[in-house]
Amino acid sequence: MKNIYIFLYFFSVFIVAENYEPFESTYEPLPPTNTIFRNANIYDGEGNELIDTDLIIKDGKVVAIGVDLPSSSDLKEIDATDKWITPGIIDIHSHMGVYPAPSVKTSSDGNEATSPVTAEVWAEHSIWVQDPQYALALKGGVTTFHVLPGSANLIGGRGVTAKNLQRNTINSMKFPNAPHSLKMACGENPKRVYGNRGQMPSTRMGNAAGYRKSWIKAESYLSKLDEYEAKSEEAKELSYKPTRDLELETLAGVLRDEILVHNHCYRADEMATMIEIAKEFNYKITAFHHAVEAYKIADLLAENNICAALWADWWGFKHEAYDMVQANIAIVDQARNGTGCAIVHSDDEIGIQHLNVEAAKALSAGIKAGYDISKARAMNWITSNPAKAAGIYDQTGSLKVGKNADVVLWSKNPFSIYALAEKVYIDGAIAFDRSSGLEPSSDFDVGIINPSKNRIEE
Amino acid sequence: MIKNKFLLTLIILTSNSVFLESSNLVIKNAEIYDGIENNPYQGHILINDGVVTKISKTSVPYADKVYDAKGKIITPGFIAPDTQLGIVEIGALNVTRDDEASIYNIGFSIHDAFNPNSVLIPWNRANGITSAITLPRNTSSPIGGLGSFFLLDSSLDISSEADIVMIGRFGGSGSSSRAEKLALIDDMLSFASSLDKKDMSSDASIDEVIDDSSLASHMDFKPRDVKALYRLINDNLPLIIKTHRASDIIKLIELKNTYNLNLIIMGAQEASLVADEIVENNIPLIVNPINNIPNSFDELASNINMTPMLEKAGATLMFNVSRSHNYHLIRQGAGVAVANGMSYGGAIKALTSNVAKTFNLNNRGSIKVGNMADIVVWEADPLEPSSMPEKVFINGVDTDLTTRSTRLRDRYISDLEKPNTYRN
Repeated sequence: MKNIYIFLYFFSVFIVAENYEPFESTYEPLPPTNTIFRNANIYDGEGNELIDTDLIIKDGKVVAIGVDLPSSSDLKEIDATDKWITPGIIDIHSHMGVYPAPSVKTSSDGNEATSPVTAEVWAEHSIWVQDPQYALALKGGVTTFHVLPGSANLIGGRGVTAKNLQRNTINSMKFPNAPHSLKMACGENPKRVYGNRGQMPSTRMGNAAGYRKSWIKAESYLSKLDEYEAKSEEAKELSYKPTRDLELETLAGVLRDEILVHNHCYRADEMATMIEIAKEFNYKITAFHHAVEAYKIADLLAENNICAALWADWWGFKHEAYDMVQANIAIVDQARNGTGCAIVHSDDEIGIQHLNVEAAKALSAGIKAGYDISKARAMNWITSNPAKAAGIYDQTGSLKVGKNADVVLWSKNPFSIYALAEKVYIDGAIAFDRSSGLEPSSDFDVGIINPSKNRIEE
Repeated sequence: MIKNKFLLTLIILTSNSVFLESSNLVIKNAEIYDGIENNPYQGHILINDGVVTKISKTSVPYADKVYDAKGKIITPGFIAPDTQLGIVEIGALNVTRDDEASIYNIGFSIHDAFNPNSVLIPWNRANGITSAITLPRNTSSPIGGLGSFFLLDSSLDISSEADIVMIGRFGGSGSSSRAEKLALIDDMLSFASSLDKKDMSSDASIDEVIDDSSLASHMDFKPRDVKALYRLINDNLPLIIKTHRASDIIKLIELKNTYNLNLIIMGAQEASLVADEIVENNIPLIVNPINNIPNSFDELASNINMTPMLEKAGATLMFNVSRSHNYHLIRQGAGVAVANGMSYGGAIKALTSNVAKTFNLNNRGSIKVGNMADIVVWEADPLEPSSMPEKVFINGVDTDLTTRSTRLRDRYISDLEKPNTYRN
């Protein structure tokens, strides 16, 4: 009898586990706006500049890109002469939703700063979907964003990639099938937060020990899991499945290459240490974030196939951010014969609205440093490269036939400060239209100054 | 009073070899945005001993040195009105911060902490900022703390104007009601108005005044604090109050009119709701044109269109774009304002002459005969952040545009065959 109960127990767990994945994306696009853009200038996100070119988006996908494409009656025609088209912009480092506006304690949910390792927390469980910042980012051409926990902890928890289409639940904003990510942090922040409490880590060597202790636990958990999963069905019935551990489940996901590591790290020497730790435990670092000193080890990053997600010019707020070089992004990009992966990120609710201008500054600094980098290539820094780092490049990040029609129509060349996003499409559906006034507003915006108006209604 | 030590500066700088001396220079063929007119004009600028002595639209005046700015835009050097330049080196490192006092409060002056060798100074200069107003951090008092004006010429013989502005802040904070804060400002201003010259004759007499005032005693005023309050009223010292909410701006306007204050409002994220009142009462604003985030419940009306809207209403505007050490990003902010409808000439004025006028920097902020020659030659449109200064003249001196940032850059892109520590 007892065995039957055990069997039933496992059977039921099995059913639940197989049929229900919690927190799956329920995203559905808006109805498509099938469109042919005529005579546009295009940066395709693959490093190409296409002048006087047509683009067709249909049923949510990029359908054709070329000169004098045939139209059809089901396509709305937009004259894009003298205008520019780019892929939807992707921010690989955002805290929208977890540090929403207004910035108040009651919804400041980005750092579970109560223990240096909190791999068990998920940023998506903190996200406030009524944050008024998503719509502002959308007007800056951002169609996809990756939200990370903050950097107080050595291992801060899981990040989430979302479509910039505001909805009432986070599940309905989540980018379908995007891999989960893990936030890790080097340097001053964790050692300050915990050192000030007289606990470990209070030094950088304490930081390094903290990561390694966690990975040792994760390896042990993973081997138990592997051992169990390798058993025959009969043998599984006769043994216990290892008890779930949320923290170790996340870390094991990294060791299984299912979860992408995004590592906040400023100093070159610390990044090199983190690369050693990744090799010790056989996991991959997808990107270093902020990485003010990436230019000092640009070759090492390129050799290890690690992206650097960077600001164009922020510096000096911390000692580890003192050695700023404005050509940082260009130097990373050009490392090892142009095989480096450079990303312009925001980490900021204003910066996310102007990633095109941030890329323009970084490009200008790169050209002044003597590099021959085209605008078309610099566009990759805010489109295809962040798509790769988020693990969604097969679906978005460039205007390739068959990919999602995440598209921005700009009034001018997007490397100009005067360029405004005129129309933004997510999955081929218009989400923002400057001329018609179509724009989303969150519940927060409704009636909050004047009851009969929205917050920023003219 | 500007401490004009220009001749001495020249002697020091020439021996320093960092800067090129030029006592007599003409910048010719420039497209000049002079900071006064909205539209540019073509002209030649003659500079003698650091002063603009002639602007010719026809023939090129003779000078020992000639700089041809053909095809280039020139502007007055930009003046950043809200910085911590020279007093904060690394934000999160207290030992490099000199923006706070522990004993003095209202009368706390940052002036003597200024470090002309800060690496922030060449960096901001190389991005077109030739001078700046440096402000302390807000104190526990709702008004108090004195800011100074500095030239960004990296000279140890500092050119400055000390204590030209008092700061304050007003709004929701979570500590006490804004009504109490307003009452406190009102009481402080009332105390300041009651001071007469006789009271100020010595520290001993000021101590007596403090003893006689329950407010001054309770707030533990020191003679320096009282002197600063006296200047606020009697010298009509500019007072920058950081505030946002529309109803708070209205309350400050009432105070301005009661005490005849020289009030400047900073932040002002809801200024668009009270634009007419601001303009009618001649209140200059220091705004961040790029900040459209409703970052607090005092800033709900925050809007990217606010700056252009305020310009149309007739407000005097200046910019702060607080991005840590990059005070030069006021020009990116200006570009965003223009992209959203502000006039180009108006944006240039906001970066130059509006600051000079508001803070009584009488011989700076515009290119005109008699002004000090703080002039930037731009490689392209100065409001495009990707365009950089080609030349930055401060007091007519062609300054060095090398920065620690460009030095570090060069260390990692050239001489790579050498170990990095043996590179330049």
